[in-house]
Amino acid sequence: MSLVTIGIADLKVSNNPEDTLVTYSLGSCIGLAVYDPVARVGGLLHYMLPDSSINQEKAAKNPAMFANKGIPLLFKQCYKLGADKKRMIIKVAGGSQIMDDAGTFNIGKRNYAILRKMFWKNNVMIDGEDIGGNCNRTMYMQIEDGKINLKISKKGMVEL
Amino acid sequence: MSLMEEIIAAVDEMPPFPQVVQRAMQALAEPEYEVSGLVDILKVDQAVTANILKLCNSAYFGLPRKVSSLKEAVVYLGANQLRQLLLSGAASKIYEKPNEGYAVFADELWRHALATAVMAQVLRRHLRLKIDENMVFTAALLHDVGKVVLSTFVVDKYLAIESMVESGEYSFQEAEKEVLGFDHAEIGGKIAESWDFPPAIIAAIAFHHEPSSSPKEFRLLAEIVALANNLAVMVGYGTGVDGLACRGHDLLLQKLKLGEKDLEKLVLLFQIEMEKTCDIAGVSEH
Repeated sequence: MSLVTIGIADLKVSNNPEDTLVTYSLGSCIGLAVYDPVARVGGLLHYMLPDSSINQEKAAKNPAMFANKGIPLLFKQCYKLGADKKRMIIKVAGGSQIMDDAGTFNIGKRNYAILRKMFWKNNVMIDGEDIGGNCNRTMYMQIEDGKINLKISKKGMVEL
Repeated sequence: MSLMEEIIAAVDEMPPFPQVVQRAMQALAEPEYEVSGLVDILKVDQAVTANILKLCNSAYFGLPRKVSSLKEAVVYLGANQLRQLLLSGAASKIYEKPNEGYAVFADELWRHALATAVMAQVLRRHLRLKIDENMVFTAALLHDVGKVVLSTFVVDKYLAIESMVESGEYSFQEAEKEVLGFDHAEIGGKIAESWDFPPAIIAAIAFHHEPSSSPKEFRLLAEIVALANNLAVMVGYGTGVDGLACRGHDLLLQKLKLGEKDLEKLVLLFQIEMEKTCDIAGVSEH
C-alpha cells in the first residue's frame, strides 16, 4: 500500500488499487472524495476557499485552492481515467468552525454552501458527509474499494 | 507543592532562550548594525552558522554560486530574514519536544506556531498595522510556548479538560483554566518573562486568548496574535488535540471594518506565504 498525500489546496486522482489517498488537518477547508466503483478510479480534493473571484491569478495557478475551480477539475481528472459521472460516489468532510457566535469566522460554512449549490445545479448527490462542528479531520480514501475513513480530533477513526 | 508552584519550578528549569539568538537580536536592533560584530556573535554557534549557510544556498534563493562564508550570507540575507531564521530555529527546538499530555505530535505544535507567525505577518502587512514586524513575528511564534511546559503536568487532568471541551460550552483554554486554575497562555507569559522578553511580547503571549484584557499599551499586539491564532486554527494548521475549540476574537476585524471577502483574501495571502515558509524552514505543511 502506498500513501499519497494531498496537501492543502491540492487534488490528486488515482486508479492504482494499492494507493490510499490522504489529506490531513481539515479545519474550515473541505475534503471532497469522489469514486467510481466500476472503473475503480478515485480522487480527493482539499480546498480552502469558496470562490476564486478574489484572486483570478492564483486560481489559474492553483485551481485546487477554490471550490468553484477545484471541484470541476477533480471530476474532469477522474473522467480522464475512465470514471463515469453516473456511477460516482461522493463523500464530503470538513467545514469546521472555531467558536464564534458572531459568525465572522464562518469560511467553513461558506465552503460547504458553495459545494451544495454546485452539486444541486449539476444533479450530483452526496452519499456521505461529516461536516461542521469544531473538530479537525483527516480523510483517507482507499482506491481499491473507495472506502473512506475519517480521523476526527477527540473521536478517533470512523468510516464515512 | 501546589500544581502552580510545580509549574513555576518547571518554568524556571526551562532551557534559556538561546543566548546567541538573543545577542544577535540585540545587535540587529541597531539601525546601523555592524556585519563583522554580528558574525562574531553568530560564529560561536556551529548549528546556527550551518543553518544560515544552508538557507542561503537553498533552492529558494536560487543563487548562481555557492555562498560559503558566514559574512557573505549575513550580508545577503539582510536583517529581517536573518532575524526570522534565528528565531524560528530557536523556537522549533523548544516546541519540538514530545508532548505527552496534549497528545499532539510535537511537530504539530511547531507547525501551528509557525503558521500563526506567518498569519500575523500577513495581517500586519496587509492591514498596514503600525507595529514592529519582529515584535509581531516573535510574539506569534512563541504564543503557545506555555503548552510545552503545561503538557507534562496535565496527563492526569487531561480527560477532565477534554470532556469539558466536548460539552461544546468551553473552549480548550477555558477548560484548562476551569480544571487547572490557569491556562497555557498565562504560563507562556511567565516563560517569556523568564527569558527577559520585552513587556509587549510577554503581554501578547499571556493574553492571546483574551486580548481585550491585555494592558492597553500592548493591546494591538495581543489582538494581532489572537486573530492570527484564530485564523491558523480555523484553516487547520496544527490544531492537535484542541481541534477548533478556540474562541474567535474579531475585535480587530470590526475595528478595521473587514468583512467576509477580506477575511478570505487574508487566508489566501497566508497560504501563499505559508507554502514559501514551509519550503524554507523544511517543514511539511501537514
